[in-house]
Amino acid sequence: MKFFQKCCILFIAIAVLICFTACNFDSKYDSEFFSMDTIMTITAYGSKGENAVKAAENEINRIDALLSVQNKNSEIYKLNRDKSISAASDTLALVNRGIEIYTLTDGAFDITIEPLSRLWGFYTGLENRIPTQEEIDNALKFVGAENIKIDKSNIILNEETSLDLGGIAKGYASSIAAQILKERGVSSAIISLGGNIRTVGTKPDGSKWNIGITDPDDNTKEIGILSVSDTAVVTSGGYQRYFEENGQIYHHIIDTKTGYPAKSGLKSVTVVSKDDTLADALSTGLFVMGLEKSKEFYRKNSTLFEAVFVTDKNEVYITENLKNSFSSQQSFGVIEI
Amino acid sequence: MKTRTWIIILSSVVIVCAILWMSILNSLSPSKIVGIYQDGNLVEKIDLNSVTYQREITLTGEFGKNTIYISNEHIEMKSAECPDKLCVKHGELKSGGTPIVCLPNRIVIQFEDDSKEADAKTGAVR
Repeated sequence: MKFFQKCCILFIAIAVLICFTACNFDSKYDSEFFSMDTIMTITAYGSKGENAVKAAENEINRIDALLSVQNKNSEIYKLNRDKSISAASDTLALVNRGIEIYTLTDGAFDITIEPLSRLWGFYTGLENRIPTQEEIDNALKFVGAENIKIDKSNIILNEETSLDLGGIAKGYASSIAAQILKERGVSSAIISLGGNIRTVGTKPDGSKWNIGITDPDDNTKEIGILSVSDTAVVTSGGYQRYFEENGQIYHHIIDTKTGYPAKSGLKSVTVVSKDDTLADALSTGLFVMGLEKSKEFYRKNSTLFEAVFVTDKNEVYITENLKNSFSSQQSFGVIEI
Repeated sequence: MKTRTWIIILSSVVIVCAILWMSILNSLSPSKIVGIYQDGNLVEKIDLNSVTYQREITLTGEFGKNTIYISNEHIEMKSAECPDKLCVKHGELKSGGTPIVCLPNRIVIQFEDDSKEADAKTGAVR
C-alpha cells in the first residue's frame, strides 16, 4: 500500500510541476476574418486581448463599409456614381491623404486609378482582360488627382473620374486598429490585413517581431526577415494578383501614366514606416517608380520610411537604416542616404 | 524499504524525462494537419499523414463551386468557378507557408500550427 501511495504522490507532484511550466505562457487571442476584399488576422497577447481585438475588428469592418469600391452602400461607391458627396470624416481624411501622397510621389501613387483597374478586371468578380489602346486612352483623360476637388466636407469629382482607395485603405485601417488595441491596454500584438503587417509594441518576451518578406518567385519562401517593433511593414508585388495571356504576364499594379501594368524592373517593394497609410501607399508608389527613382525619393524623404526592393534580376536592396534590422541568406545592396 | 523508495523515485524521473523528450520531439516534427475554412468556420481538419486514399471535397459559395483535392502528400484547389482562379494558380500546398485563399468564395486552406521562424509574412495575400 505504501508503495502505491509514494508512487502516486510523486507522480502528482511532477505533473503539477509540468503544468506550472506549461501554464506560464502569456494568454493569446487570435482572430481571423474577411474584410476589405482580403483575409485578415489579429493576434493580441495579454488578458485584455479578446475585447480589444473584437473592437478593432468592428472598426475595420466599419471603415470597409465606408471605403469599399464594390459595396453599393459605401461612400466611395456613391461618390463614384454621383460624382459628389458630403463625406464622413474618415473618407475625407483618407481622400486628402491620397491627394497629398499623389503630390509627394509625383503621381506614382494615384487614387483615381479606378477606371483603369476596372478595365483590366482587377476587382473581385470581374474577368481579367487586356483593354484596347482606345479604352486606355479614354480612361487616362480622367485619371489624376487634379480631378478631385474638396470643399469643406464635400468631395467633388470630374465627370468620368472615379476613386479607388484600395492602395491606402488597409494602411489606414491597420493604424486605427493598432490605436484601438493600445487604447484598450494591449501592449503586444500583430495585425495582418492581407499581408499588410502592423506590429504593436514588441513580442511578449520583449524581443522584436520577425516579419518575413515573401519571395516573389515562391510564396512558400522568404527573401529575408525584418526585425521590427511598433511599425507597419507593407509589400506590393506584381506576383500578388495577375493574369497571363499569350505567354505575357499582366499584374495588378497599374502605372497611371501609361495605363498599363508598371514595368519598372521590380518584383516587389516592402515599405517600413511608423505611418501605416504612407507605408501602404508608398509600396505601390515606389513599385511604379522603379529602383533608380525610388533611390532619389528615399534620399529626399528618408525620415518618413525605409524600404526593401527585389528587382527583376532577383537582386535585393535595402535602405540604409534597415542595416541592423534586415537579415537574409542572400547578399543584398544598401541604398545610402 | 529505503532502496525501494529510491527505485521508485529514479524510475519516475526516467519516465517523466522520457515523456518530456517525446513531447519535445513531437513538437519539432513538422505538422501535417490542414484546416479547411469557409467564411471563417472550420469545414474540416485533416491530418495528411493519415490520408490513405485520395479524395476531393466540393464547397459551394457565392461565385460557384471549388473542388479541393487531398492526398497524403499535398492538398490543392483543383478547380474553381470564380473568375480569377487565384486559388487554383496557387498550386500544391505541401507544408506550411502561404495558405491557399479563395477570396470570392471565402475559403482558406492552411497548415495548422506550422512552427515558422517569422511571426508574420508581408506580401503573401493581397
